[in-house]
Amino acid sequence: MTESPRIEGLLRRIRREIRRRRAEYYGLRGAFWGAVAAVAVMLAKHGVGAKAPWIAGGLVLLGLLAGVVYGAARSIRRGDVARVADRAFGLDDRVATTLEWADRPDRTPLVDALVRDTVARVEKLELKRVVKRVVPREGQLLALPVIACLVLAVSPPIPLPSGRLPDFLSSTEEEREDRTSSSMLEESTRQLTKDPLKRPAFEERDFAQRTGGTGASTTGDLSAIFKDTSLANARPDFNSFMKKGDERLRMLEQTDRMPDLQSDVTNSQYKMMYRKSKALTGGLRPDQISPQKLRELLEEMERLGRKGGANWSGDAMEGMEALEGGQSDRALESMQKALDKMRAMDEAQRSGKSLRGGRENERGARGKDRARGDGMGPEDQDFGEGEGLMPGKGKSGNPKGEATQRLRANPFDVGVEGESRQGRKEGYDTNLTGRGGSMASRLQYLGVIGQYRKAMEDAITREQVPRDFHDQIRNYFQALDER
Amino acid sequence: MNQDSRVQAFVSAFEALRAEVEKIIVGHREVITHVLTGMFAGGHVLLEGVPGLGKTLLIKTLSEGLDLSFARIQFTPDLMPADIIGTNIIVEDADGRKHFQFQHGPIFAHILLADEINRATPKTQSALLEGMQESAVTVGGATRPLPAPFFVLATQNPIEMEGTYPLPEAQLDRFLFKLRVRYPQIEELNAIIDRTTQPRAATVSRVLSGPDVLSFRELIREVPIASHVRDFASAIVMATHPQWEQAPDVARRFVRYGASPRGAQALVLGAKVRALAEGRYNVSVDDIKAMAVPALRHRVILNFEGEAEGVDTDTLITRVVADTEAGVSQSREPFLR
Repeated sequence: MTESPRIEGLLRRIRREIRRRRAEYYGLRGAFWGAVAAVAVMLAKHGVGAKAPWIAGGLVLLGLLAGVVYGAARSIRRGDVARVADRAFGLDDRVATTLEWADRPDRTPLVDALVRDTVARVEKLELKRVVKRVVPREGQLLALPVIACLVLAVSPPIPLPSGRLPDFLSSTEEEREDRTSSSMLEESTRQLTKDPLKRPAFEERDFAQRTGGTGASTTGDLSAIFKDTSLANARPDFNSFMKKGDERLRMLEQTDRMPDLQSDVTNSQYKMMYRKSKALTGGLRPDQISPQKLRELLEEMERLGRKGGANWSGDAMEGMEALEGGQSDRALESMQKALDKMRAMDEAQRSGKSLRGGRENERGARGKDRARGDGMGPEDQDFGEGEGLMPGKGKSGNPKGEATQRLRANPFDVGVEGESRQGRKEGYDTNLTGRGGSMASRLQYLGVIGQYRKAMEDAITREQVPRDFHDQIRNYFQALDER
Repeated sequence: MNQDSRVQAFVSAFEALRAEVEKIIVGHREVITHVLTGMFAGGHVLLEGVPGLGKTLLIKTLSEGLDLSFARIQFTPDLMPADIIGTNIIVEDADGRKHFQFQHGPIFAHILLADEINRATPKTQSALLEGMQESAVTVGGATRPLPAPFFVLATQNPIEMEGTYPLPEAQLDRFLFKLRVRYPQIEELNAIIDRTTQPRAATVSRVLSGPDVLSFRELIREVPIASHVRDFASAIVMATHPQWEQAPDVARRFVRYGASPRGAQALVLGAKVRALAEGRYNVSVDDIKAMAVPALRHRVILNFEGEAEGVDTDTLITRVVADTEAGVSQSREPFLR
């Protein structure tokens, strides 16, 4: 302490000024943030009710009071106050030095002279306000939330938006209820087989409509995620843009829900059952297979056989009986037999559609022709079992023999229709070999996927798909192409 | 004598000495003030300027105003350390016996003018090192104290660099201040002509003795300095170091080596003298700012970029001081600035 009431009085006065300015400063900041909170309350007026204006006003007042209290309660060091006094009154750091050195034990004789000099100078001072008012940025913007509050107070309540995303998969509550009531097996079946009600909407999609933005999307129509009418017509805010992007990505991830353009010829009962049986037995010993799931599979096979009048329902029944007796091995054998019969029927059906269903059928057909002794053209010539393909063997007119068929040997590998030759590809539809190379459905698929890819590029360019997602989307379509 | 009287005596002596020097030297008030400041602070001063600006005359006049011994050494390339410090010579007494006797060199004077110090070889220049730092010299294993007060005033020519040996950093650091003697204004030039081409020459009175100077040096060290002023001085010195995390951009870009702790000492001591010379009992921030350039300009070494771009150390230090002050101010809340 300097024992000078004049210096202490000066410091008290400046400290009071600083407190007052601080209270103003933080009060304005508090009022601003209180007003921002009040805007949120007024936006939710629909849910809050008639008390909303009172709550909003209270928040502004609370913010103001909290800021004032905080600003006034903050401590101020004597040294800081002394420096403010020195600068404000041009005292050349006399007050600060005096306060610091007056109580020091190592004070020099010159300090006494300093104290006297400082006191004398302070006594001559004409006191004035020295702390300037500082208006925070929040204070300059305070009018905005206050006006917003007033506008919201006189305007009708805004209904709160629903936080749920639209359901793309089922259009009505009825369908949702149907889904929940069906069994687990039916649920998985639905995922594999495409909903016939949804297909026309997808196939008849007009890509040109995307840019127009006027086409109404129907529930379950996957093209809706690319039409995006709101983004095409109006500049969307960031949240809606992100929401749309998320929906698109979510749909792209659900590859099993994408339209299967090959399902008209490749998705058969046999393949469906085959996949399920592989999923059930894959990598497991018979004693590790769930009897419950095996029973469900056999029941389904039996049901399909009964419905179509096929001959594998008996095998399925045998399998179920064996399972009842606890003989899993026999049940699996029966299931395999039923699967074989299903495959035979499936291939027979495909032959009836003039589609090459498999090597066995072709051979069988050719064998029949040969047996009939009909005149064979060069393209119909073939050789019997064990005759081989080497020159000089068989009945081929070609001296080098027939070209080896580039087919997959495994008839169960239904997922691969063909394969590409090694080397440079001139075109995706002319360089294919094997079974898939002559399949009309393959060409159609590739044609359609080309259109899809073009539409995808348009969508990426025109709509505001986040840049980071471009590669992901392109990779997805690239994967479709390589199938 | 009470403290007020002591301070008043110092103020009077300072003013009187400056007035005596200004009888001869026209203009250069700032240089004269800084020379006196350096002397009362107990340091040595290096004056840099082109020939003919009155550097040597200024120092000679100052020595005439002080009741102190004065010696002048004209530095040349063939000057040897013994020519400065002195040497042992063989003398023969009355009985015919011979013995060594130390012949004092010119360094054994209160005020030493080292004229054109950069013309001597580094070996000779370094002969001054011990004397300037320790106020003593060692010859033939015997350390001999220099008379107190001991005050070296050196001059150097910045343009005639042919055949010169720029002072090494260690030698430069020994000087409290480096002052630049600039060309006079036309009015000052007219006054110089009038004073030096008329028959009546001005005479300088001795206004201060050696013990007075020593007494004032003690008084100066008693001047209190507030911690925030001392912190400001330290911050300025640190800000000249490009490696310092809070160094301003100008220092980071153009400075290779910053000022040494001697720079901070020079800042504070010079500020104390300035405060007392103005009749104040404490050091203020303005005192530190006023002393920054003379105390630091020879302690800051520019890097290649700084030299290539012709950066002036005075401007650089001014920028550093301004940036440091702004940084200190910004670190406080608005009401306390």
